[in-house]
Amino acid sequence: MRKPIMCAAAVALVTGLAGCASAEGDAAGQAAERFYSAISGGRGEQACALLTPRAAESVESGGETCAQAVTTLVMPGGEVRGAQVWGDDAQVRLARDTVFLHRFPQGWLVRAAGCRPHGELPYDCEVGG
Amino acid sequence: MKRFVRDNALSLFFLVLFVLSLAGQSMAGTADYNARQLAQGGATVSWAEYVVSSDFAVDVAENWQSEYLQFLLFILATVWLVQRGSPESKEPGKEGRESDEDQQVGRYIEPDSPSWAKAGGARLKLYGNSLGLLMGLIFALSWLAQSVAGRAAYNGEQLSQLQDPVSWGEYVVSADFWNRTLQNWQSEFLAVLSMVVLSIYLRQRGSPESKPVGAAHTATGVEG
Repeated sequence: MRKPIMCAAAVALVTGLAGCASAEGDAAGQAAERFYSAISGGRGEQACALLTPRAAESVESGGETCAQAVTTLVMPGGEVRGAQVWGDDAQVRLARDTVFLHRFPQGWLVRAAGCRPHGELPYDCEVGG
Repeated sequence: MKRFVRDNALSLFFLVLFVLSLAGQSMAGTADYNARQLAQGGATVSWAEYVVSSDFAVDVAENWQSEYLQFLLFILATVWLVQRGSPESKEPGKEGRESDEDQQVGRYIEPDSPSWAKAGGARLKLYGNSLGLLMGLIFALSWLAQSVAGRAAYNGEQLSQLQDPVSWGEYVVSADFWNRTLQNWQSEFLAVLSMVVLSIYLRQRGSPESKPVGAAHTATGVEG
């Protein structure tokens, strides 16, 4: 499952240029797209299943479950413009915001979404963070 | 077999210590990495996954480069610099590359001298600097590996903290790279300084790294 850790280290050692952006980046990008698609389609349960446990908790508010609250979020998203994978973490740049994901045994889960850069500080995110 | 072990006991002792320490580091490192992953809401990894990770690679490489730099500088600095009273130093007045007679080359070659020392020319020049060259090469490669693996580990950390990853060029001028580098260098240089100075006044009976117990503090280049 975590071959990419080795992959990232091997590629980095050989090239010094980038992580394993291709296959793993595609997988992370697809997970991000599925998350945004579930929200825009009103499929709250599916969207929450694509969040890390901590991110899912952060969405719950005022007695609302994650599945109820997540569909009310407004995140511009857009098409995938690029992805970087380093170790078990990934950053997927969408046309209008950015998503951070973490690799779990079951696949890539969204750690933070709807993120915008905040200077030298961590991104400001609608979900997680 | 017994004789082989006795004749190579010093090398074997440090080889065993090295292997055990590296194995211990990999196990402690896995536990430390997994504790950080859990604290950040991430997934844990197995030992086999950790030992091929950039986190393990940078921790190993940053220590290797500083050790090889320490010995490289010690080898080269002791050609030109002396410390009166230290068994680690040549006697004052012998600074420099020394004569062919002192170095047993040219007309002063011995029957059992290494073949490259007998060869003369470029091979003699290369062989005459081979220890420093190899130490320097391993230092350079280890430092390069530290920069590459360090960038990969740093970028993983950056992403887990919702920050942008950096390029290799940005990483080698970053605080993380120089903090890892200099914290190792300072300890290596202190250790060499301690060895050079303390061995002027203190003794370890039977050790070739020390002067004989009864040797004068002013005796230089004398090993027990």
